[in-house]
Amino acid sequence: MASIQLSGLTKFYGKRRGVEDVSLEVGDQEFLTVFGPAGAGKTTTLNLIAGIVTPDRGSIRIGDKTVDALEPADRNVAMVFESYALYPQFTVYQNMAFPLRSPKHRLPATEVEQRVRHFATMLKIDHLLDRQIQALSNGQRQRTALGRALVRRPDVFLMDEPLSHLDAKLRHSMRAELKEMRSQLGTTTIYVTHDYLEAMSLGDRVAVINQGRILQVGTPEEVYFRPATVEVAQLFGDPEINLIEAKIRSRQSTSVRVQALGEDWSFPITPEIGSALDKLPGDNVQLGFRPADVMVGVNGNSSLHGVVYSFEPLGTKSVLTIDSVAGQRVRALVDGHRTFQVDRRIEFSVPSASLIFFDPESTRYLVRSTRTEGDD
Amino acid sequence: MTQSRSPRAKIGKGLQILLLLAYAVFALFPLLWMFIMSIKPDSQMLTTTFIFTPTLENYATVLHSDYMQFFFNNLIVSVAAVLVSLVVGVPAAYALARFQFKGKEDIAFTILSFRFAPEILVILPLYLIYQRLGLYDTYFGLIWVYQLITLPLLIWILRGFFEDISPDIEAAAQLDGYTWWQVFLRVLLPLVKPGLVAAGLLCFIFAWNSFTFPLLLSNNVQTSTVIALRYLASDTVHYGQVAAAAAISALPEVILALLIQKHLVRGLSFGAVKG
Amino acid sequence: MAELTLKTLTKVYTQAQSPAVDQLNLAVRDGEFIALLGPSGCGKSTTLRMVAGLESVTSGEIRIGNKLVNDLHPKDRGVGLAFENYALYPPLKVRDNLAFNLRAHGLGAKEINRRVDEIARTLQIQELLDLKPAALSSGQKQRVNMARAMVRRPSVLLLDEPLSHLDARLRVELRTEIKRLHAEQRFTTIIVTHDQLEAMALADRIAVMNEGVLEQFDTPLEVFNHPANEFVAGFLGEPPMNIFRTVVADAGRLVIPDTDFALPTTPAVKKLIGSRKELKLGIRPWGIRVSQTQTDGSVPGVIVVVEDLGDETRVGVRYSEVLIMSSIPVTRRYRPGLPVFLNFNEEDLNLFDPTTGERLSDGSDGSSQPAHETVGKNEIQAPVTR
Repeated sequence: MASIQLSGLTKFYGKRRGVEDVSLEVGDQEFLTVFGPAGAGKTTTLNLIAGIVTPDRGSIRIGDKTVDALEPADRNVAMVFESYALYPQFTVYQNMAFPLRSPKHRLPATEVEQRVRHFATMLKIDHLLDRQIQALSNGQRQRTALGRALVRRPDVFLMDEPLSHLDAKLRHSMRAELKEMRSQLGTTTIYVTHDYLEAMSLGDRVAVINQGRILQVGTPEEVYFRPATVEVAQLFGDPEINLIEAKIRSRQSTSVRVQALGEDWSFPITPEIGSALDKLPGDNVQLGFRPADVMVGVNGNSSLHGVVYSFEPLGTKSVLTIDSVAGQRVRALVDGHRTFQVDRRIEFSVPSASLIFFDPESTRYLVRSTRTEGDD
Repeated sequence: MTQSRSPRAKIGKGLQILLLLAYAVFALFPLLWMFIMSIKPDSQMLTTTFIFTPTLENYATVLHSDYMQFFFNNLIVSVAAVLVSLVVGVPAAYALARFQFKGKEDIAFTILSFRFAPEILVILPLYLIYQRLGLYDTYFGLIWVYQLITLPLLIWILRGFFEDISPDIEAAAQLDGYTWWQVFLRVLLPLVKPGLVAAGLLCFIFAWNSFTFPLLLSNNVQTSTVIALRYLASDTVHYGQVAAAAAISALPEVILALLIQKHLVRGLSFGAVKG
Repeated sequence: MAELTLKTLTKVYTQAQSPAVDQLNLAVRDGEFIALLGPSGCGKSTTLRMVAGLESVTSGEIRIGNKLVNDLHPKDRGVGLAFENYALYPPLKVRDNLAFNLRAHGLGAKEINRRVDEIARTLQIQELLDLKPAALSSGQKQRVNMARAMVRRPSVLLLDEPLSHLDARLRVELRTEIKRLHAEQRFTTIIVTHDQLEAMALADRIAVMNEGVLEQFDTPLEVFNHPANEFVAGFLGEPPMNIFRTVVADAGRLVIPDTDFALPTTPAVKKLIGSRKELKLGIRPWGIRVSQTQTDGSVPGVIVVVEDLGDETRVGVRYSEVLIMSSIPVTRRYRPGLPVFLNFNEEDLNLFDPTTGERLSDGSDGSSQPAHETVGKNEIQAPVTR
């Protein structure tokens, strides 16, 4: 068990930026997810912590030790690779036993057997111990890779997109299982993924990374409801957050009138929002709102108008794409029981509590109304 | 309904088989002819084709001469050449597969290009160099020059094998607590074993068959390929004995290839197919 | 545009244990968009390739607009293919790639240019026409691929996993574009996909396939709300339906073995169960209400997993060996370890026969059905029961 500290890690592959100036603190026994699109630098970060790759600049501490000079074998870090990296010539048992037989561990045979069986049972692969790797399904291989990492009882777990090659159903059940397992294991873990649902579900905190740089580190709630930049807001949510330009027409202390999506609309604001808007140099602001927050077919003063561009039913919910008056497209998530006709006129509105305000120049987060905590 | 087997398709198939058969005959005939020659007495050599009285006289003559000494020379030199190539080539193949460095592809191609040049082209300067260095007519000299034949082949075959192994496996083994050398010996080498077998065998065959190098760079330390020609004497050509000597010389490689046939096919195709 | 009819279409690969496609009957209407959906190896790609003419047919018929096309070369079938590995010719510009097909059919240069411009406008790729494939992004390549399939005005458009290799944002955008395009152009289209969201979003009707057999062929909402069997129920829906084994105990209650979970049943449900001793019970996460207060007929459990996913919160509740996923309003704050009580909405309950997997229903399924266009049931062939 140990905390992890990354300071100013930088790694370039020739001209290509792997990561730049990455600094991160992970608490002892914390489960941190590192989230970003493909090529963001997630695997590079893991490889640096494991010692497979050496940084150009920066340093890494695990526990109270600086590990920069240590070989991977000496860092007491276990990694689950995206490709699983199982030893093809060995059986499941041999794969899981391999680390325990290494010069680093050199455990007696009885203890090796005990540990392997314990974790194999936990991962429900105890009936596969004598199988060759080639004969396993993807899901079974993934569990074997997990098992090989678990038997070592390391200080740190590193997981590189372990669920990405599983089919949707298996991914769901493994995600729930992983979540349950982590409370039993209590080891500091860094989990890398490009799936935002995984990142939010599994992590105590989420580190959002793109193009080699950390964009934000926070709880799942923070990165979702108070994204540091427009970029972070766009990375979470499917369909993506709606982003529109708005021009402030007039402002009172408790309400504001903007022109956006080709229409004028006014909505109430809190004093906090008011003072944040004061700080803007001009009267342009960028508004973000999630498709699930859009209310469709509601009459009222704040109604916006548009035409249905496309309607995609997804089961419990449906995606509605609306062409607004100004032509910009807005997406809404509506209840699966409603149906809409393409090219029909429609009305919709966005509750002011769901609006996120961004500075249009810097694309940084400005303000939003505070979320009301739910009653039970 | 479905497509039936048209007469056209049947003729096409028959033609295919015929062509393949013709090629098989074409490829195997020289071997057959050589074997026939080796059991034909000299007197009947030029007068008969397939009908003759077979004799083992030629084999007897060859084996009672000092032929076997040269047979063993060939064995020593070929095996040693392959061993040297393994020791040098495997790490080289690994380096070319894994590491990125300036001029990597140029170096790799240069190594391969040693196989392009016909031996005759380089033999004269080599002869002079060998004389100068005192390597002429030595085991060491032959083993060394054989590397021109064996090393490029081995490196290219094994490079493909190493490239097929995901670098994640090495990283995993290191994280599991093994030093790099242990990873190499316990994890990587077993995985490239089919390549080692295939490459080793091929290199042996090429080294064994080598003719120009031993002919011109050696005299007394001679190999059986060259010695076989000795029977082309100035008075009469003892074709039968030449054939017998050649047949004996061909035996080891044919036996080896047949024994490891399965590995050979697997080894050669496995390394080539990506992903 | 034309209808497509498949009659007892079968494909058996030599030395295979079982057919890759087994007696498939499918009737696609003119202008309809259907999806072949199923896990890998279910036969969907093989079916598409047979329709395209890239794979020979073992037995059965393929008719496009009533014409038998089994023995016709792909280029004579009037199909447009946008396949995954059907690459664009690298040395040709996009315009020439699109024109390539048309030239082979003897159209004049002026007509070719007109058609290329027309399709470019429809798919919004006008600015890409003079570029070479290497200069295109994957999303652009996808659209050019579709343009090439559509430029010959095919009777049937065949798409093989067109969105699978795209990143999330592009996938959502292109999905909307394809849907819109179909709404405007109404090509008879068949798409092959393993992504059930894609099938749901795009198709007028979905053909769910498994191991070469058609499991169900109906509108997305029907397939989702009234799955024909356990396989379809488990395959569609994100997150998937909870399915567990139950045993009929005394007083007709449904009991999950080795747990204290017992679901009392109404007379209607009892009628469905009939004389069965065992059943599979399926319920979607939203059909379960989670609360901290015990009510009549509710079942106790402990929260072991909580997933805060922004717009929704999902919880996993455990009873002994069984983990049930449900969702709760975002405003509720539940934490692992909390004991809760579950109530199952009866209209969201699905009962499946334990051997055939078929869903048990009395034909008059419930209350929560939206008004939607009814499908001509006589065109759908019953799935083959195993």
